[in-house]
Amino acid sequence: MKCEEVRPLLADMAGGVSDRAAEVEDHLGSCAACSAELGRYRATMLQLSALREDLAEPPAGAVERALAQVPAWRWRLLARRAMVDERVRYAALSLGGVVVGAVAFGLIRRRAARRDVSVAITGGRA
Amino acid sequence: MRRTYRHVYTQALRIVGDRHEAEDVAQEAYVRVFRGLAGFRGEAQFETWLYRIVANAAITYLRRKGRFGELSLDPEDEREEVAADVRVDEQATDRDVLSRALASLPVSLRAVVVLKDVYGMPHKEIAELLGTTEGAVKVRLHRARRRLKEELFGSEGRDEV
Repeated sequence: MKCEEVRPLLADMAGGVSDRAAEVEDHLGSCAACSAELGRYRATMLQLSALREDLAEPPAGAVERALAQVPAWRWRLLARRAMVDERVRYAALSLGGVVVGAVAFGLIRRRAARRDVSVAITGGRA
Repeated sequence: MRRTYRHVYTQALRIVGDRHEAEDVAQEAYVRVFRGLAGFRGEAQFETWLYRIVANAAITYLRRKGRFGELSLDPEDEREEVAADVRVDEQATDRDVLSRALASLPVSLRAVVVLKDVYGMPHKEIAELLGTTEGAVKVRLHRARRRLKEELFGSEGRDEV
C-alpha cells in the first residue's frame, strides 16, 4: 500500500476497527510518516476518552433548580434508597419493629387494665 | 442527584454545546431517570444506563429545537466560524484545545464523536439514537477524528497526502 491509500484508514485504525488492518500494519512497518500520523490519531483519541472524567462546572444553583422542578423526586429518591441501600433498609425495619412492639405492648397493658377494672366491679364473680 | 449531576451536565454540554441548554437537557434527563428507576433491574451498570438516558435526552432536545436537521447534514460542507480560533491561546492545555475543538464541530460530528470516543457507546446504538445507519455513523466519526487531530497537531498529516 502507498501512503495516500493508508492515510484515510488511520482514523479507523486508531479506533481499532479496520478491514485492512493487516495491510496497513505492513505499510506502517516501513513508513515513519504514516506511523507518526497514526500516533497523532491515537493521542487524540486518548485525550477524548480522558474527557469523560474532565467535568464541567454547572451554573450556580442548577442542582437546586432541577430538584425544585419536581419536589416529589426527593420522596421517590428516599423510597428508592430505602429499597437499595442496606443501611437505610435495616434502619427502616428496626424502626418498624420498635413501633409494632410498642403498639402490641400498649394493647396488652390496656387489656390487662380493663380486666382489673372488671374484677374490681364484679368482685371476681363470673 | 448531587453525586451524578456534574457528570450528567457535562455529557449534555458536550453534545448540545451550550451551558443553558445543557441545564435543560440535564433536567429532562433526571425526569427520565426517575421515571425509569423502577424498571432499572441492574443488568447494565447504572453509569452506562445514565449515559444512555442523557444522550437520548440531548438528541431529543436538539430535535425539538429544530437543530436535529444539523445532525443529518453532510458535515463536510459545514464548518463553524469559531473553529478558526481554536489554537489562538498558546497557554491553553491540550485538553482545553480539544474541548474547544469539540465545541466548534458541527452538531452532526460532535454528537457522534462524543458518544463513541468519550462515552464508548457502540456504533449501532448511536445509529439508532440518531435515526441513521451504522455506515453513516462511521463516516462522521472518521471526519470528526480527523478534524480534532488537525486541531491538536496541525494539518501537516492530512489524509490527502
